[in-house]
Amino acid sequence: MKNRHSCFRILLAVVFSFCGAWAQTQAHANPEFLRVAAAEPGRIGGRLAVGQSPEPKSFNPVTALDQPTQDVLRRMNADLIHINRATGKTEPALAKSWTASRDGRTFTLQLRKGIQFSDGAPFDADDVVFSYRVYLDEKVNSPQRGLLMIGDKPMIVEKAGPYSVKFSFPLPYAAAERVFDSVSILPRHLLEKDYAEGKLAQAWSLSTSPQKWAGLGPFRLKQASPGDRIVLERNPYYWKVDSKGQRLPYLDELIFLIVPSRDAQVIRFQAGETQVIAPLSAENYAALSPDQQSRHYRLFDAGPGMEYNFLLFNLNEDTNKFPEVVRTQEWFKDVRFRQAVSMAIDRKGLVRLIYQNRATPLATNVTPGKKQWINPEVPVAEHSPAKARELLRSAGYSWKGDVLFDAHGKPVEFTILASASNALRSQMATMIQSDLKALGINAHVVTMEFRSMLDRIQNSHEYEAAIMGLSGPDDDPNPDMGFVTSDGPLHLWNLHERPATGSWQAELDSLMAQQLITLDHAKRKKLYDRVQEIMAREVPVVFLLSPNILAGAHADLGNLRPDIIDSYLLWNADELYWRTPAGTH
Amino acid sequence: MKRYSRSMVSAFVLLAFHGVVLLAGFFAPYGYATQYRALPHAPPSLIHFVDCSGRAHFRPFVFGLKEQEGTFSQYERDCETRYAVRFFPRGDGYTLFGFLNTDVHLFGVDEPGRIFLLGTDGFGRDQFSRTLYGGQVSLFAGLIAAGLCVGVGMVAGTLAGLYGGVVDASLMRLAELCIAVPALYLLLAVRSLLPLQVGPAAAFVLVVLVIGSVTWGRPARLVRGVVLSARERNFVLAARGFGATPAYLFRRHLLPETASVSLSQFAVLVPQFIMFEIMLSFLGLGVGEPFPSWGNLLAQAQQYHNLVSYWWLLLPGLAPVPVLMAYYSLSNLLQQGPGAKNEEII
Amino acid sequence: MILYLAKRLGQTFLLLLGVSILLFVLTQAIPGDFFSEAQLNPNISADVLHSLRSQYGLDRPLPVRYGRWLAALIKGDMGYSFSYNQPVTRLLLPRLANTLVLAVPALLVCWAIALVAGVLFAGYGGRWTSRAFSFGTSMMLATPDVLLGLAALLFAARTHLFPTGGMTSVGVKAGLLPAAKDLLSHLVLPSAVFILSAVAPILRHVYAEMKQVLQSPHIRAAEGHGIPRLRLLFRYALPAAANPLISLFGLSFGLMFSVVLVVEIVLSWPGLGPTMLEAILARDMFVTLGGVLLSALLLVTGNLLADILLYVADPRIRVQE
Repeated sequence: MKNRHSCFRILLAVVFSFCGAWAQTQAHANPEFLRVAAAEPGRIGGRLAVGQSPEPKSFNPVTALDQPTQDVLRRMNADLIHINRATGKTEPALAKSWTASRDGRTFTLQLRKGIQFSDGAPFDADDVVFSYRVYLDEKVNSPQRGLLMIGDKPMIVEKAGPYSVKFSFPLPYAAAERVFDSVSILPRHLLEKDYAEGKLAQAWSLSTSPQKWAGLGPFRLKQASPGDRIVLERNPYYWKVDSKGQRLPYLDELIFLIVPSRDAQVIRFQAGETQVIAPLSAENYAALSPDQQSRHYRLFDAGPGMEYNFLLFNLNEDTNKFPEVVRTQEWFKDVRFRQAVSMAIDRKGLVRLIYQNRATPLATNVTPGKKQWINPEVPVAEHSPAKARELLRSAGYSWKGDVLFDAHGKPVEFTILASASNALRSQMATMIQSDLKALGINAHVVTMEFRSMLDRIQNSHEYEAAIMGLSGPDDDPNPDMGFVTSDGPLHLWNLHERPATGSWQAELDSLMAQQLITLDHAKRKKLYDRVQEIMAREVPVVFLLSPNILAGAHADLGNLRPDIIDSYLLWNADELYWRTPAGTH
Repeated sequence: MKRYSRSMVSAFVLLAFHGVVLLAGFFAPYGYATQYRALPHAPPSLIHFVDCSGRAHFRPFVFGLKEQEGTFSQYERDCETRYAVRFFPRGDGYTLFGFLNTDVHLFGVDEPGRIFLLGTDGFGRDQFSRTLYGGQVSLFAGLIAAGLCVGVGMVAGTLAGLYGGVVDASLMRLAELCIAVPALYLLLAVRSLLPLQVGPAAAFVLVVLVIGSVTWGRPARLVRGVVLSARERNFVLAARGFGATPAYLFRRHLLPETASVSLSQFAVLVPQFIMFEIMLSFLGLGVGEPFPSWGNLLAQAQQYHNLVSYWWLLLPGLAPVPVLMAYYSLSNLLQQGPGAKNEEII
Repeated sequence: MILYLAKRLGQTFLLLLGVSILLFVLTQAIPGDFFSEAQLNPNISADVLHSLRSQYGLDRPLPVRYGRWLAALIKGDMGYSFSYNQPVTRLLLPRLANTLVLAVPALLVCWAIALVAGVLFAGYGGRWTSRAFSFGTSMMLATPDVLLGLAALLFAARTHLFPTGGMTSVGVKAGLLPAAKDLLSHLVLPSAVFILSAVAPILRHVYAEMKQVLQSPHIRAAEGHGIPRLRLLFRYALPAAANPLISLFGLSFGLMFSVVLVVEIVLSWPGLGPTMLEAILARDMFVTLGGVLLSALLLVTGNLLADILLYVADPRIRVQE
């Protein structure tokens, strides 16, 4: 029986690959395929090697937790509605069109007909329903699940026809179309059995054989050598064509070389062994700049990204166990003290010395990378030690010699935590320490292994101040909910806060709750503008800067359009092509 | 005799290094944390006697630096400005030996000029001063850790060798256990358990203490070997026959026997612990900013962009090399001395 | 011999047990765990993390977790990697193989160089050569491994003579010969760095042992008989110095791991090193445990190997039994 089954599989594979070859030549015949208009038509062939660190952990899009794994998996999978990384707008992907109900609570998506997974198996509404069932299943513990929960309730997914799926939200949801982005559609025919047996998390590990893997993305798995490389090859069944009717992707192979150290990555890029490097630090950008002509590569500065770095004060209320911390909180809780610290910090200096001017000072958590949402009226705190001193004096602080004393006559002194593995943040801490010294504040910098530091910030709350950075996954206010609202998991300065009615935090909570269900863009923008005003005025944390997204690529690569959200240069890997004749790379 | 004199050379080199490092505040023209933010990545200052117009000056001087327009930290010398080198000027305040507050430095240049013998880092901090201060952390961490390691090793080894039996077996198993557990793991644990209010330098010393006290396995085994063979010597047997207490035996007979092994172990371990500090800093777990150490100075120079664009950042990273070499030569000579065996290098 | 081996194996077992207990206690002592970092991702809810933690048993008390792990280990299961969602054995073994491909030949070359150079330096050394020897080996010992690795990397990048990392090239022709050539070209630089950082202590040992043996009466007597110098050194003196060197050979086998770790990280060799460092920092506990146990096992195996070699090489030891 088993034997017959495998025979059947081989036969199926032969038939499918034959179909594949046929499909390739006849690509333009299927009107359901997505025609890519924005990209220039390229030539087929060649391979592209990219340095990757650390090693991707699995080929399972359901359970992948970390960024490097996601970066590889996004090249191999596809979603229903996609956010175009260059424009920031949603566009059709596996769903060719969709309609929303008037109350904004139900969405009906029409799927492309006659398209196939990378193993040749057909794709239809059952795959979509299966995929969402997996993501939403509590037992599977997919990290994506939180994204698909709206107001603590899951969305409901129903099949509305062989190529049509209906999604119902528990509430009207402002950013509904964006929810579908990056939720990879899974092949039901390969994973249903694992799912039924409760072994989905273990399926598709790094040692999976390429025959047992399938997706809807531009590339499919060819070979994975542990610790060394992951080789992806062109998916012959991919559902996009260019304006000339050629089937995408252009590249034959996309190779991720595992290069553990950042410096080695730069060196290998410069040696030409890898042809794309992203992200790049400002220092390495400067070091690579002089050789652009001679080594035939181009560097890109895509402008500020989504990352916001800030100096965090511990304002948690459950710190009674730690008298040392409580002592410092008396200062931190005074908004004038926080404003004074904010004014004492030389943000332009940070930008210049640490990022070589390739970063932007910040007023709030909304970076200039959030083009649609930043409030240009909110100014970045000016660097003025004199005004900072004045503010502190008005708050009852005084100086003896060079040292700042509080109203009770105690010297102002605290520790700033920084991650040992992030050189940039510990450099920021060093400069801030020096800036605060000018104000008479004695700050100690303690670098600590990142997870230990997080444990203090998130769980034990035994810390005084810290340098942190967070990054939003999307150009939309919704990912900021967790940071701004008082019960959010990233409300790091005061976790599980219960804001007094009428306080600014209470206002933030209600503004964020309103924007979530406001469907009108202009009204939503207004609400979010107000959030930024409050954040800048009350300085719950001292916002510092947002680094630019920097990248480099071989000069012969066509259709490169750096983005600031994910993968930076590889987001449109299906459109990349070699301008020089294929085979030279 | 010749060997003796060569040991003296190594010892003298080491003494000189330790002395300079101990008096870093005096020998360094600037404080280790003083940032000259207008001069990041300034190249090493050259000391001149002849100015741009070809005129010779009796007093040596340095030129001022101008940032080239449109570049980031690329400098050219400014012929207009000359700053004479002075001896014993006043500058950043510092404390010698923990109590002597002063602000006199060995050398400096006229304000507002700056003299950076090894250039500056990305914050405009004088690398020469940081190298000297950095030695304080690295050298003394090495000394303390090695001292502790050899001390614990000596006690454990002597006990094991003297009493044998269960004591010996359990101590030696414990030693093996300590050898087998990766130090990195232990270090992560210790580092993250420390209270925050401990300053970064003190925290680092604590970490070093812990490392020193768990790496006693190897010296203990060596000392045990020596004690085992000494125990059977006739004079020891005789002393025991006369009813000498273990304490007496240890002090009078065994200590001198083990001293030579311990000393050469010490000379081997100090550079190893200095290397360990370098390794820790490479992993980002060394002493915290703004304190310099040879490890974190080297770690910064190892970054590709620094190696390529600012070669002088490598200079402080080379500071440990002569010191380590002196230690290794010393240990080599000690080991070639009579009675010392050579099991201890690895 | 067999009795001795059995005793050694018993000790090894106890040692590994001790190591594993210590590591378990340490992991408990370090704040934070594998899932701490995921807490920063705005998409991952607290519920998901909570159930992930309980799925991996991280919320159980320490003795329970240790008991389970030990029970699984007896069945040959070293546990599961949190980050790779894969059994630790399947994760580590291919990487261990890569490490051995680099380290074993490099270590053997190290020994070959050390034996030849050490014997010659000891046998022919005048005042200046012995000084040069001392200076040279001190220099090698004093240069941080990381710096050597980076120098090799820069060398490769500037000259294009060798690949700048990894174990195989992209797009090598099929067939055994091209594959072997490709592997060899990738091995050159990491091996060179390994040898430069590992050879000095071995060299010093060989040198010191030889110096001592050359002082001994029977060698002096042989010298007096007019035996050619080279023959004297390698045929008579070296075997006399063999015993401590064999012990050292065993030791060096286990200790090569600390050297190879740095080489692998800097030159991106796909061995145990990068995986272990990542696992330690990411708190991927069972991977760390597995790696440590493997390296401890290799250390012990090296010592055992040395004992067996001694038994074979030295008749006195056999007679003692």
